[in-house]
Amino acid sequence: MSSTQWSNRAQSLSSSARHSRLKRELVAYSFILPNFLGFAIFTLIPMVFSLVLAFMHWDGAGAITWAGLSNFADMLKDETFRISLINTLYYVAFTVPLTMAAALGLALLLNQPLRGRDFFRTTFFFPYVASLVAVAVVWNMIFHPAMGPVNQLLSALGVDKPPRWTASVDWAMPTVIMASVWKGMGYYMVLYLAALQGIPSYLYEAAEIDGANSWQRFRYITLPMLTPTTFFVSIMLTIASFKVFDLILVMTGGGPGRATNVLVVHTYNMAFKEFRYGYSSAIAMVLFVIVLVITIIQFRMERRWVNYM
Amino acid sequence: MATLAACGTTPAAGTTAAPAAGDAATAAPAATTAGEAPAASGEQVTLKMTAWDIATTPYWNAVIDAYEAKNPNVKIELVEVSSAEYQDKVNIMLSGGDDTDIITVKDTPGYSAMLTRNQIVPLNSYIEADKLDLKAYNGATDELTYEGKLYAMPFRSDIWVLYYNKDLFDKAGVAYPTNDMTWAQYDELARKMTSGSGSDKVYGTHYHTWRSTVELPTVQDGKNSIITTDYSFMKPMYDMVVKMQDDGIIMDFGSLKAGNVHYSGVFKNQQVAMLPMGSWFVGTMIKAKAAGEATFNWGVAKYPHPEGVAAGTTAGTLTSLAINASSKHQDAAWDFIKFYSGAEGAKVLASTGNLPALRTDEALKAYAALDGMPAGIDEALQTTTVRLELPMNPKVSAVEQILNEEHELIMTGSVPVDEGLAEMTRRVSEALAK
Repeated sequence: MSSTQWSNRAQSLSSSARHSRLKRELVAYSFILPNFLGFAIFTLIPMVFSLVLAFMHWDGAGAITWAGLSNFADMLKDETFRISLINTLYYVAFTVPLTMAAALGLALLLNQPLRGRDFFRTTFFFPYVASLVAVAVVWNMIFHPAMGPVNQLLSALGVDKPPRWTASVDWAMPTVIMASVWKGMGYYMVLYLAALQGIPSYLYEAAEIDGANSWQRFRYITLPMLTPTTFFVSIMLTIASFKVFDLILVMTGGGPGRATNVLVVHTYNMAFKEFRYGYSSAIAMVLFVIVLVITIIQFRMERRWVNYM
Repeated sequence: MATLAACGTTPAAGTTAAPAAGDAATAAPAATTAGEAPAASGEQVTLKMTAWDIATTPYWNAVIDAYEAKNPNVKIELVEVSSAEYQDKVNIMLSGGDDTDIITVKDTPGYSAMLTRNQIVPLNSYIEADKLDLKAYNGATDELTYEGKLYAMPFRSDIWVLYYNKDLFDKAGVAYPTNDMTWAQYDELARKMTSGSGSDKVYGTHYHTWRSTVELPTVQDGKNSIITTDYSFMKPMYDMVVKMQDDGIIMDFGSLKAGNVHYSGVFKNQQVAMLPMGSWFVGTMIKAKAAGEATFNWGVAKYPHPEGVAAGTTAGTLTSLAINASSKHQDAAWDFIKFYSGAEGAKVLASTGNLPALRTDEALKAYAALDGMPAGIDEALQTTTVRLELPMNPKVSAVEQILNEEHELIMTGSVPVDEGLAEMTRRVSEALAK
């Protein structure tokens, strides 16, 4: 066989390889397509539209006019925007660490060989799948200022003036945060449980032989081994907490006054009550940037504390 | 077909051009004057109309049936929009170019939002062409007129009255509320009617969590408006209600809000002796009695009034009908609206236990004669002046949001009355200046 024949053979081989690779990719794309179409129509295009709208004035009916940066300038003068930004940060600052602590605590407890462990795992996961409206109604009943079991218990314990929870400017946000932690912790508990079961037992055995007590084992083995999960949970929770809307809308409607008015509620009011779609989009954009920056910072800090073994 | 196509653009242009443009603009509505435009051609027209709570509100279909019986070539299709988010959803529908022909207008903020954005058409040219006498509406149409144009015809008009539980008054040996009571006398009566404790407690009166329950009496004298730049005039009424709350004469606002308590429940369960509420509650009570949910005798008196203001002065709300600017059957829609808001529609509406905006004698008679109507209701429903709950204003949504927030703060005791009213003044002034 001559060398030309060989090279022809090689050429045709590589072209057929390329052909089959293209075919494989097309098959893969066709699998992604339905999902991507949905994503494009319901998420991507509206997001781009919203980005453009942030620089426009639009009342939802008339002409769209150029606004430049005036929507962003308006935010500086908007008292409700300032209040809802502070409220959002307040909510995030407590919800994220509290949910993580509760989820980790539950996971540690339910990782022990307890009787009825599966029952409790299901019980704590249940709020996560329960309807949010039902959850909100139940919480409002539990924390009802007059007839709620919480305040009746507090009164029975001799508390003179128990907090008025959602009917109080000072207590409304803590009440919403508690409800949110309770609702979310089950899901993150499951993530932590999976991570706990992935920690090899020989690490604990070795530590025990070295004389480590249970706190030391937790502090120097369990926690470091959980850091990848903790990192993931913290990012997911932060994003979810900044987007809080439904729970607040059902429990307090942003009140009393503006005590629990958060950014997404303000965005909603501006768009659908006052028809300032441009301004509303600008607020949404600010929220997006805040979440983006915080997530980037979290990723930057990752290598300092996250331990991938 | 040609007429219909021409009509599509008429009212929008007609608002300014109708008198000047002459033929082209006025010819189209004139065609409907006879009411035969759709009928004459024999063409089948299907009109769509937005509505809420269709299953529980009998009047929607009652009026439609009456109209369809007279106009066999027209079919009216109801489009259900959930009651709680009605106006938000309708606004989004209209922004999306929806061509539902007839838009039911539920409240002033919704009306204001739709007309300022040209989503509904002015009806003046139709009214002129049909020579409708708006005086018969007792000023209701004036309340809806904005910059000289009327964009919706009122069909239902509710007023605020005072409901009371006759059995509780009899038991306490106290005389029933009269049709000529000042707010001070009412306050005194409420204190007299408060008794018991724990689960047996009877509250003298009841304030639902709406801002309007406290704020409407402050504008009864006609000297002030709900949309203003100084809210200090609301102080006496807020002081009175907050004091009632502190003294346990009324249920606590925070509890009502947290428990999401509906006013009908507390009245039906005989927990309150009186209830200032809109006339729409009459229908609810008749139904409740017929179904055995309420077993006591109840009565209706006129809404109390401030010192020096005539008895029968009250506040009211209007429910009205508008034509979508994107509708392809605007003339046919007008014909139906004319029927609904006119004498025939009023009669059908009254026979279902609702107060029509057009208070013809015939309609009122049909209303008072309904089964289960308490005696004396016709007198209680007679009004001297009715003020619209919320005046027309392009900023009404923003203002209402502020008023609701500050009302909540005052009623939950988060801020003293003066401070809350000062905040209303500051924030509403800022919103109106924008």
